Amino acid sequence: MGTHSMDLLIEALVEGDRARSVTEAGRMIAAGVARERIVTEGLEVAMKRLESKCTLEQFNLLEIMVAGRAVMEVMSHVYPEGSWPASTKGTVVIATLEGDVHDLGKNILRMILVSGGYRVVDCGKDCPVHVLVETAKQEDARAVCVSGLITSLIPLVRRVKGSLRGAGLGDVPVIAGGAALKMASAASLNVDVVCDSAFDAVNWLDTTGGGQV
Amino acid sequence: MNSLGRITATLQGKPADRTPVIAQVFGHAATACGVDLGVYLRDGAVLARCQIEALHRYGYDAVFALMDTSVETEAAGSVLKYTARDYPTVRSYALANPDDLDQLAVPDPLRTGRMPELLKAARLLRKEVGGGTLVVGCVLGPLTITTQLMGMQNALYLAVDEPDRFGEILDYATEVAREFGNAQLDAGVHLPVVFDPSASPAVIPPSFFREFELPRLKSLFDGSKARGSAANWLHIAGPAAPILPFYPEAGVDIANFDYPVSAVEAKAALPATCLDGNITPLSFVEADPAGIAREAHRLLDQFAGRGRFILSSGCEIPPESRPENIEAMVRAAQSRAQDRE
Repeated sequence: MGTHSMDLLIEALVEGDRARSVTEAGRMIAAGVARERIVTEGLEVAMKRLESKCTLEQFNLLEIMVAGRAVMEVMSHVYPEGSWPASTKGTVVIATLEGDVHDLGKNILRMILVSGGYRVVDCGKDCPVHVLVETAKQEDARAVCVSGLITSLIPLVRRVKGSLRGAGLGDVPVIAGGAALKMASAASLNVDVVCDSAFDAVNWLDTTGGGQV
Repeated sequence: MNSLGRITATLQGKPADRTPVIAQVFGHAATACGVDLGVYLRDGAVLARCQIEALHRYGYDAVFALMDTSVETEAAGSVLKYTARDYPTVRSYALANPDDLDQLAVPDPLRTGRMPELLKAARLLRKEVGGGTLVVGCVLGPLTITTQLMGMQNALYLAVDEPDRFGEILDYATEVAREFGNAQLDAGVHLPVVFDPSASPAVIPPSFFREFELPRLKSLFDGSKARGSAANWLHIAGPAAPILPFYPEAGVDIANFDYPVSAVEAKAALPATCLDGNITPLSFVEADPAGIAREAHRLLDQFAGRGRFILSSGCEIPPESRPENIEAMVRAAQSRAQDRE
């Protein structure tokens, strides 16, 4: 069992077809395909393909969400609860900051980061800056991501970098995204980068985000 | 020429004394008057007073009987969390379980939630300034009402998993919008803007918009016109360029375009439609008056000779915006009138 099955899995994932994705992954496991291959040659390729599609045809939440949901279900199937492989790329701490309860963007980022090989610690929504910083310290974060849908959040975003520095985490990059934050520059938000999409955040981490762990 | 005449002429493609300018001042009206947003959003008289004070202060061409994106869902049974300084958020959704749709009644705008307060604001605004200034109400579009009834994530998953059920909820949402819009027209607004951020291509693909949202928007706009609305104004924020070509089919007379859509794209997609936009909303907080004036004049130059343009922000001017930036936008439009004299 090889390329053809993998292609079927990728196709099902990109279409967001949960049932078909899990069935194809199950078939491959039964046929003895290594779990790591299913992740690297199936899930990660599917997300790359989705990224290209979204770049060409506009990024939209719906397609990302249904594909991301299928990816997470396949991950749970391939690695039953508690047995996910250790990340090789490090830990990313993510949050929607205090005052903002819109967490859909953050949830999508979580899915894209996980499928991109990162370990994710999610501080949730309405998260105080000090909780984000403490979590980053406890988890030895490689990066911190903040998502925001409302402009009134911006003064809080500006505080994140300084708070990290105060905790001895001045070298941990801060990534910002979300409808409100996208309107601002990295300099004005006092962050390392403002990303247009969750894919951009993963690409930035993969390429320029502080090097390899 | 007063504001109403200016906008009417612009809509009809006729000459006006200058380009109309509509600052999308909603919650900022409270901030500008030193009133807590949490009070402004729950008291129609306070809302109307703040809108009128802001109108007199800034001198733009329209006022808004508009609260936030949770009015409809609250009236349907969602529970909100209010704070003094921010817009409310949904604490529990009226339609957490889509199977409960049958138990959901279309809210009576005269009696339910904050709808009566919004109608009070509409009546006051029409009475006080509506003789010469456009009074704009607001209903959410069917898709945004649906996402506010269920939560965005649940709604979008349902759309994929059970499209028929999702369609039934959209039909319900359309009726909510229709009833609320009609009540606003009866209360005196010249038109209710249809605000539909969840229909943005940032959220759903254009094909989904065409299949699920377009026919319902058309039905909503047809009914609104029949009820006496002065114009059909559609406001979908974000990168809306791919869906602009559908707007004429929906019956749109005024199309808002947000900052991710260029004036060139908007004009090309909608050559015969009145457009409003598109200064970046955050720049009213972050930029200075000179920067806003530059953007405003750039837009006025781009639409010179075309007409059918209302100078505006791409979306809501944030409550925390700097007043001098709003003044700069208004002054830019007014200065072009002086040029014509």
